[in-house]
Amino acid sequence: MAKLLEKIMPSEKANDAKGSLGSTRKSLNSNLKDIIQLLGVLLGMIAFAAILSKGVFIQPINLYNILTQNCILLVVSLGQLLIIITKGIDLSVGMIVGFSSVLIVLTQDFGSVLPILFALGAVIVIGIASGCLVHYAKLPAFVVTLAMSQIVYSIGKVIGGGAAVYSGFNGSPISPGLLSLYTDGIFGIQYPLIITLVCIIAISLYLKTSIGHFTYTIGGNQKTAYLSGVPIARVKITAYIIAGLLACIGGMLFVARVGLGDPQAGDALTMDSIAAVTVGGASLSGGAGTVVGTIIGVLILGVLNNILNLLNVPPAIQPAIKGGLILLAVYLNSRKISER
Amino acid sequence: MNDLTPILKLKQIGKSFSGIPVLTNVDLDLYPGEVHCLMGENGAGKSTLIKIISGSYTADSGEIDYLGQTYPSYSPRWAHRNGINTIYQEIDLVPHLTVAENIFLGNEPLTKFKNINKSEMNKKAEAVFNDMGVDMDVRVKLQTLKVANQQLVAIAKALAFNSKVMILDEPTSVFTNTEVELLFKLIRKLKEQKIALLYISHHIEEIFEIGDRITVLRDGNLVRTGLIGEFNKDSLIKSMVGRDVKIERHDDGKKMGGVILSVEGLGQDGVVDDISFKLHKGEILGVGGLVGAGRTEMARLVMGADRRQRGKVIYMGKEIQIKSPNHALALGIGLVPEDRKQEGIVPMRSVSENMAYSLIEKRARFGLVHWKAIKKMVLENFTALNVQPQSPEKNINLLSGGNQQKAVLGKMLCADCDVLILDEPTRGVDVGAREEIYKVMKDLKNKGLAILMISSDLIELMSQSDRILVMAGGRIAGEFSSAEATEEKILALALNQGGNQQ
Amino acid sequence: MEMREKLGSYLSFLNKYSAIIALAIIVIYGTLFVPHFMSVANLKAILFQYSIIGFLALGQLLVIITGGIDLSQGSLVAFTSIVAAVLMAQIGLVPAVVGAVLFCSLLGLFSGLLVSRTKIPAFIVTLGMLGIGRGLAKFVANAKPVPITDEFFRSMGRAELIGVPLCAILWVIASIMLYQFLKRRRLGRYIYAVGSSEESARLAGINIKKVKLFVYTMSAFLTSIGALIWASRLGSGSPIGGIGYELESIAAVIVGGASLYGGTGSVVGTMAGVMIFGVINSILNLSGISPFWQGAIKGILILSAVALSQIQMRRSRKA
Repeated sequence: MAKLLEKIMPSEKANDAKGSLGSTRKSLNSNLKDIIQLLGVLLGMIAFAAILSKGVFIQPINLYNILTQNCILLVVSLGQLLIIITKGIDLSVGMIVGFSSVLIVLTQDFGSVLPILFALGAVIVIGIASGCLVHYAKLPAFVVTLAMSQIVYSIGKVIGGGAAVYSGFNGSPISPGLLSLYTDGIFGIQYPLIITLVCIIAISLYLKTSIGHFTYTIGGNQKTAYLSGVPIARVKITAYIIAGLLACIGGMLFVARVGLGDPQAGDALTMDSIAAVTVGGASLSGGAGTVVGTIIGVLILGVLNNILNLLNVPPAIQPAIKGGLILLAVYLNSRKISER
Repeated sequence: MNDLTPILKLKQIGKSFSGIPVLTNVDLDLYPGEVHCLMGENGAGKSTLIKIISGSYTADSGEIDYLGQTYPSYSPRWAHRNGINTIYQEIDLVPHLTVAENIFLGNEPLTKFKNINKSEMNKKAEAVFNDMGVDMDVRVKLQTLKVANQQLVAIAKALAFNSKVMILDEPTSVFTNTEVELLFKLIRKLKEQKIALLYISHHIEEIFEIGDRITVLRDGNLVRTGLIGEFNKDSLIKSMVGRDVKIERHDDGKKMGGVILSVEGLGQDGVVDDISFKLHKGEILGVGGLVGAGRTEMARLVMGADRRQRGKVIYMGKEIQIKSPNHALALGIGLVPEDRKQEGIVPMRSVSENMAYSLIEKRARFGLVHWKAIKKMVLENFTALNVQPQSPEKNINLLSGGNQQKAVLGKMLCADCDVLILDEPTRGVDVGAREEIYKVMKDLKNKGLAILMISSDLIELMSQSDRILVMAGGRIAGEFSSAEATEEKILALALNQGGNQQ
Repeated sequence: MEMREKLGSYLSFLNKYSAIIALAIIVIYGTLFVPHFMSVANLKAILFQYSIIGFLALGQLLVIITGGIDLSQGSLVAFTSIVAAVLMAQIGLVPAVVGAVLFCSLLGLFSGLLVSRTKIPAFIVTLGMLGIGRGLAKFVANAKPVPITDEFFRSMGRAELIGVPLCAILWVIASIMLYQFLKRRRLGRYIYAVGSSEESARLAGINIKKVKLFVYTMSAFLTSIGALIWASRLGSGSPIGGIGYELESIAAVIVGGASLYGGTGSVVGTMAGVMIFGVINSILNLSGISPFWQGAIKGILILSAVALSQIQMRRSRKA
């Protein structure tokens, strides 16, 4: 771990020397400090859970389970991260998860791949709509995505008859290939984990492309970005499209895991993803947030759930704890920023 | 008048921002019933002084005597409640409330049941306007009024609060001639009511029409206070600029090249109109004028940052429709904006990244940002500009204003522009950085770049430019060659002696 | 210029009365083309159902006028219903009702504190409260509905006065009171002042924190009244009740002519906005259109209303 940290962390010396430009670009020290802090919190929580469970918690199988249980949340949170970096917020990701799950199940008559493509196509349209409304019409992101979540939810209910769906329009059952996503894997790693990993890599890479990097720029200062020739429309709309696509993948994983499509599948995911991203150090005032932080944020939420279970806290109160957590994280982040 | 005691007396007021003095030892007396004009060019310290009188700023040194009491400072609210009222250019009223509600906001007459007594409030408001001799429907929402009428509401509000000192900050800048007449009638009435008025305006003719005394500020110092009769137009302008600095014109004998950018009849409603000029290769064209003359707006129109309604832009011999700054930069036109913090930098990001925005897309490799190549280019400009400290990976927030400005300029150098628009390139920049920026400008000019330099600093304008345009009221008021320009001439044009626009 | 001014004033007129005009058009459509729409039973049903949203919308209106938003209302409905149901079984009707209203208002007070004293945006504070309210409701109820046995309480939700639903009468009375409050009381005017120009309001000596604290508390208070009606009609408290109600109230307020940027919004417009959704819902039901379309219609209406007020704002800025 220490080696890894050293690798990411630019040493002060390297920072001041003129020649060593390449390696230290993004990791402004404060960013790194945040991540170390977060890791500390996560490790502390894991240690606490280990003691609480007399060691059961840190058994590999349990840790592995935490990972697989939080795959969907992680995938969705990556999209939320992009939007939050642009200084927006996406209140529709949860409903898009539900909508995609319904769409994928209902179109099972077309084989096992086409349904997923249909769903991806549909969420691209949704992403473009949200992005355009935010960028061109200059409507507040939370209103646009709140309204969009209603529209999507409603369409999901209309096509699915208002309830969970188990088979395609013509009665085709969900393809075994899709269902096996959750049971099979390669090298003993389940597919959901692999898909999540692919998403993580894809988003990390995306943030290293020029358009992806501009996400930080427009979140940091949109006026400067505009005058510096940053193609704001393209950056913003792409962010909303990607958030939609990731939510759609979340929907696919949901179908694979539960074996049905449900317009309400992602009910809790909107809140949870915002919680994960903000706990992971992203700022609602835009321009800050990292993939690593978001992953840790998701894990913190996951471990927290486990600890609450270990403490026999009823699952019912968990939304309250998440709500409180969001407020706390946002409050701390906003203080941190005003200090700088 | 002189046998009265002043109602407000500023004694040795000093104020500085981050070490740079803005006001030093300024004295000012205001007598009841006088119109005291405060004059000075941009940056002379007028607005800081006003803000100290109105309580928004606290002076670093000095005291204020008001109504016989001495105060080191007070809050804006205290000032407002105790009869010191400022009528700002940007009006400090609540758009969605009615005129009467605005006048009595926070001080509403109540009924027995502690409801707002609307009829009495409206009656009182009407009475105030009657006293002012102004016809006004006090029941309409403020936002439906024209700006000039909103100013009148602000004055009425001050009067309703028993105003004793009224500060009018460029009240006529958005007025038509008839509205100005109305305002002057009102000011004369206020004088009769023994209200002391501090009047700030850029229209010299207005000053001589309405003023009783004039105080001139220059570079934060008090230059002269005197009765209006002691001044004439020329002597007033002279005391505003009156520096004895010898201006070194930079003339290196290089001939400028052909026209690269020409603008014809550029205009946008309510902002600028009829702007035409030609910019040559290897030329620094200065644009002078007062704050609010429409210079920044003109630059934004050329840059495609705002949509123009009229006019043509001809670039390299071809008429072009610039759609956005992105498009302008692709064509080779770049802008270093006036407001560095709001529009120049991306906070929390490194200096090198801030300089690299135009390169990020151009230099991408397989779609990924190719930092190595970018850094190499950035580093060249970084070194050439001598940005301090010499660590391009530092968070840009940590740099001084001058070095941030160099970085913003560096961003445009990286963009490889043929035309650079520099909006106040040395504002808030220390002397050392200023000289370095001048040097860079000269190098660019020698390389054949065309520079349009907007500046409120007359010395900068005259020492750096090959030609100087002067803007006033959203139009080009005149043009000088660098040889014939003097501070007086520029200021006289900028002060827009020709009356009001619209 | 003149043309544009005319268009502007035309637009602002339309904006002012758009909700009422829209309501009238929809009602006329329903009367002419939808069988059973103009029947006493149907109109009563609309009033029974939508006076609940009506109370929420009144609270939402106050918050939106200040330029904020309250996303927590839906879960506060569940929370109030649960607290009322649990308390009623233990300490009787009146204390339970008072207690439920009090507890719910306390949560609103907490939101108000956070909004007025920290820099956290209102939508995040109330989003957090949405989670907190739902969690507390589930916690108190042990995640199960809590039946209400008090016959009197249960009857109130269905009660009628001279053929008009009692809850609708209460809603109208509350609306009139709020209308008077916003028009005549200082605090009412200050709510507009804060939403319109916080800086000017501060300069005029208005206690902005107090105003914000008040509107969020009031929003929770009015929500709790709506929640009691809801619980009474349901005959139980439910921890999963009220999901999405905040959207309905926001939609009603925005469609009723309020701007999300603060400073505008009227009680009359909000009432019309509530009724628009009630009537549309009813028409959908009666025409055999899937009620599932409701969300889509709500979403599109919110978007168009916000876009309209945005266009209006840009126009007035230019002028």
